Amino acid sequence: MARIGVFVCHCGENIGRTVDCEAVANACGELPGVVHAVDYKYMCSDPGQNLIKEAIAEKNLTGVVVAACSPHMHEKTFRKATEGAGLNPYLCEMTNIREQCSWIHEDRDAATAKAIDLTRFISEKIKRNSPLAPISISLERRALVIGGGISGLQAALDMADGGREVVLVEKQPSIGGHMSRLSETFPTLDCSQCILTPRMVEVHQHPRIKLLTYSEIESVDGYIGNFSVKIRKKARGVDETRCNGCGECQSVCPMKKIPSEFDAGLGNRTAIYVPFPQAVPNIPVIDRENCLRIKGMQKKKAKAACGRCAEACGRDAIDFEQEDTFVTEKVGAIVVATGYQLYSIGKEQTRKGITGYGEYGYGTVPDVIDGMQFERIASASGPSGGEIVRPSDGKVPKRVVFLQCIGSREPSKGIEYCSKLCCMYVAKHTMLYRHKVHDGEAIVFYMDIRAGGKGYDEFVRRAIEEDGAKYIRGRVSSIQREGEKVRLTGFDTLSGEQMEIDADMVVLATAMQAQPGIESLAQKLSVSYDGHGFINEAHPKLRPVDTNTAGVFVAGACQAPRDIPDSVAMASATASKVLGMFSKERLEREPTVAGVDKVTCSGCFHCERACPYGAVERYEVLNRSGEVEKVIAEVNEGVCQGCGSCQVACPSKSIELEGFTDAQIFAAINAL
Amino acid sequence: MRELQELSSKLLSEGDVSVVIGYEEGPRGVRPAFIRTPEETNRLVFDHRAVQNLAVYLSPRRAHLRKRGRPAVVIKGCDARAVAGLLRESQISRDDVVLIGVRCGGVYRDPESNGPLSEENVADRCTGCDLREPGHVDHLVGELPSEPPATDRRKSRIAGIEAMSPEERFDFWSSELERCIRCHACREVCPMCVCERCVCEKTDPSWVESSPHLRGALAWQITHALHLAGRCSDCGECERACPAGIPLSLIKGKVNQVVEDRFDYRAGDDPDVPSPLGDFRLEDDQEFIK
Ligand SMILES: Cc1cc2nc3c(=O)[nH]c(=O)nc-3n(C[C@H](O)[C@H](O)[C@H](O)COP(=O)(O)OP(=O)(O)OC[C@H]3O[C@@H](n4cnc5c(N)ncnc54)[C@H](O)[C@@H]3O)c2cc1C
Ligand code: SF4
Ligand code: SF4
Ligand code: SF4
Repeated sequence: MARIGVFVCHCGENIGRTVDCEAVANACGELPGVVHAVDYKYMCSDPGQNLIKEAIAEKNLTGVVVAACSPHMHEKTFRKATEGAGLNPYLCEMTNIREQCSWIHEDRDAATAKAIDLTRFISEKIKRNSPLAPISISLERRALVIGGGISGLQAALDMADGGREVVLVEKQPSIGGHMSRLSETFPTLDCSQCILTPRMVEVHQHPRIKLLTYSEIESVDGYIGNFSVKIRKKARGVDETRCNGCGECQSVCPMKKIPSEFDAGLGNRTAIYVPFPQAVPNIPVIDRENCLRIKGMQKKKAKAACGRCAEACGRDAIDFEQEDTFVTEKVGAIVVATGYQLYSIGKEQTRKGITGYGEYGYGTVPDVIDGMQFERIASASGPSGGEIVRPSDGKVPKRVVFLQCIGSREPSKGIEYCSKLCCMYVAKHTMLYRHKVHDGEAIVFYMDIRAGGKGYDEFVRRAIEEDGAKYIRGRVSSIQREGEKVRLTGFDTLSGEQMEIDADMVVLATAMQAQPGIESLAQKLSVSYDGHGFINEAHPKLRPVDTNTAGVFVAGACQAPRDIPDSVAMASATASKVLGMFSKERLEREPTVAGVDKVTCSGCFHCERACPYGAVERYEVLNRSGEVEKVIAEVNEGVCQGCGSCQVACPSKSIELEGFTDAQIFAAINAL
Repeated sequence: MRELQELSSKLLSEGDVSVVIGYEEGPRGVRPAFIRTPEETNRLVFDHRAVQNLAVYLSPRRAHLRKRGRPAVVIKGCDARAVAGLLRESQISRDDVVLIGVRCGGVYRDPESNGPLSEENVADRCTGCDLREPGHVDHLVGELPSEPPATDRRKSRIAGIEAMSPEERFDFWSSELERCIRCHACREVCPMCVCERCVCEKTDPSWVESSPHLRGALAWQITHALHLAGRCSDCGECERACPAGIPLSLIKGKVNQVVEDRFDYRAGDDPDVPSPLGDFRLEDDQEFIK
């Protein structure tokens, strides 16, 4: 015989204001099988939980129904309390009389009646609940980090220092990401390279970090605790085991005028190149599009072209014939830290639905550059050695205009979000500029200044008050070349004045966007992403570094625009999550997974197609002579997330989700 | 016909297959034939009376047939859609069966008809058929006959039902389904009903009431129609089998139309094209969840 206890929560005023909680408790006390029903102001508080525990003991309850907020919020809390009193936690269920009742209704009587209905619904279901025990699955205690920017580096170091092996995969020839290209960093103006490169070296030398640069994820199989990841090591053209990084090859390469990606096109590189002197690993890569020898090989020319680098190399490390290779790594957890790209102001866009700013003349009007190019100009390791000069003629610009919010917060151009840190780096740019060009004038056009963060507003104030940056609230409508100058036409929205300014250089603070191709990586990992391609976190507040796929975590600017402090904090958070997970030998997981009725399954595999997590596998039923009788579905308990899609898809209802079985749901529906 | 008989005889004598499933003369028009020896192949016929969908005999639910060995089956273009469905849903593997496709000039609504095909006697599904020459088969026999006459019989009946108010429509279907005796003949002849245990037979909970009551009949037909959305081969066998004369193909026809309008999909003879029930596209119009 069922002995159900019903516990109705007022949630302070949240529920009590609209729902007569006492009436709900009284009505539920009369329901068949309910032997105990009370209401209380805060059921989740200590005394509230004690009400549940005491009732379980005194009344010998076989089931607990808590009518309160969303199970997302407190199901764990109440199940824990139930377990504490010796009852299986899955014999406790919640009914949501807040989001589904008090918050959305006004009429008190009707809301109270609905709250009673909802509670009756769950109390019928719980009569059919059975005790469930957590599932134990094996665990590979190594981690994979995708992306070697500051986020990936930090995550890898924290996990490796915590005693676990880490595989770090970076698609570029060197680790470092965007941070390695920055000059000095807000809010303290310390030199980016100086704080970053020691970490890069540390990663390289760490005994527990396996670094795979110039590599990409080919495919991901498996599930939390047991991922199997196939990685493509792109042909570098240089044998990593032989090269000692002497650089002879670069000095002889005749292709010297290739725009350097690292210097955002402001400097040049050779066809065999190390992206920057502090690169890790310090091993060159051959750019196959520009290498004369390889181009000759591709055209099947009889005579081998060029090959000077191979001649110059004293260690016989250069291998034009090298091909992509594959390695497979078994890991238990994955951290995605693939960072961002900058919005392109021109016509060419990597994402659908986004348009550029033709009116700003990027790429056509000389001396209109973006923020990353300014970083390179200001950087001591940049093409001008840190001297602020403009690209067109190498002259020191005396008046630089900075435009904020280029792309960001502009739904008509396709991006409605705020990139969050342009306000900060523009302030930084004005300071860097004024520190180097004392008689120069820095003018900023802004929409709002968003400088939330420790020391951030002070930083912007310093730019204005100490370094004399001139901030104008307004928008620029066009940018044109006027002789030696760049003419901006704009509007000051505070004074209401139309303005025309002749500048020597214009810096556009462009939006931060998701990496190109992130969707295909996300699909390989079965993690979801938003309309802009940023990876979705499992919960914006409570689970900011988890994704919706168990065992896959997210750090840094691939989740949303993030500055360095944010990225590092997220990275360390992912490391702590992974280390916590790895602190046990095996994984325990929720038993609310799907199971197939082997007798009635007809092997149509609608469930396989419906499962968003790839949890449905094929299972061969053998007859007595060992021949395959039929092939049916089987759910991998490690992968199943308990979403229930398969249960809905199965035409013969041969698949059941523990905790949400057809019998339970049917009984609940019939109670309404 | 000779071509079909000779091919069948060859397949049987060479041991390629152990049974040819085709059509033979029966007491009421033609009926399914299971031919096991080359000598018997002269019984095989194919003409406008060949309305039955023989793909149903490939379903693993007819495991007793399968145990008799590898079959060859005579299929029209419309039947090829059902075969593709069985392949798509892993019910058969391509090597387990030899497909003999026949070029088709349309069939009667009723196998007992005779005379030339006319607007009155032609099956609804033949109008606008784009599969008169089935693809993805092992052998293709016959000359392509001329196109069958067109009829808008079903279309206009569906339009008539669409024009009803919801109450009228409910009354219409209630009066039709009230006659249902839940014999499940419609399910037994359905080539796409591949479940080992139909949801109608599921107990604890019993989702579909099993007694011949309007409630259960409605629930069953709604379930059948939804389970067939994007899978139905439009063979019309459910309606032909129904002893109560319920116009079941109006339901299926309507659902097929909805699937085509929404997902730009019509069940075809290519097993590698996924059906909407097992596929999603980002560009699908998702107004139903907005
Ligand atoms: C102009 C400018 C100035 C800035 N100034 C500052 C500042 O002063 N202070 C501050 O705090 N922040 C600043 N930032 C922000 C800073 O650049 C970011 O916060 C930081 O770089 C984010 O680090 P990340 O590791 O998340 O991403 P990234 O630096 O973008 O690194 C991601 C890495 O992942 C790799 N990757 C991408 N996709 C894949 C894949 N599929 N497989 C493998 N590897 C992949 C990339 O190659 C890259 O190495 C500035 C940004 C800009 C644009
Ligand atoms: S419950 Fe969801 S995750 Fe689990 S097998 Fe079914 S569809 Fe896949
Ligand atoms: S949908 Fe149902 S019947 Fe089909 S394979 Fe999956 S569990 Fe089996
Ligand atoms: S064949 Fe006709 S009577 Fe029999 S179950 Fe189907 S609809 Fe009902």
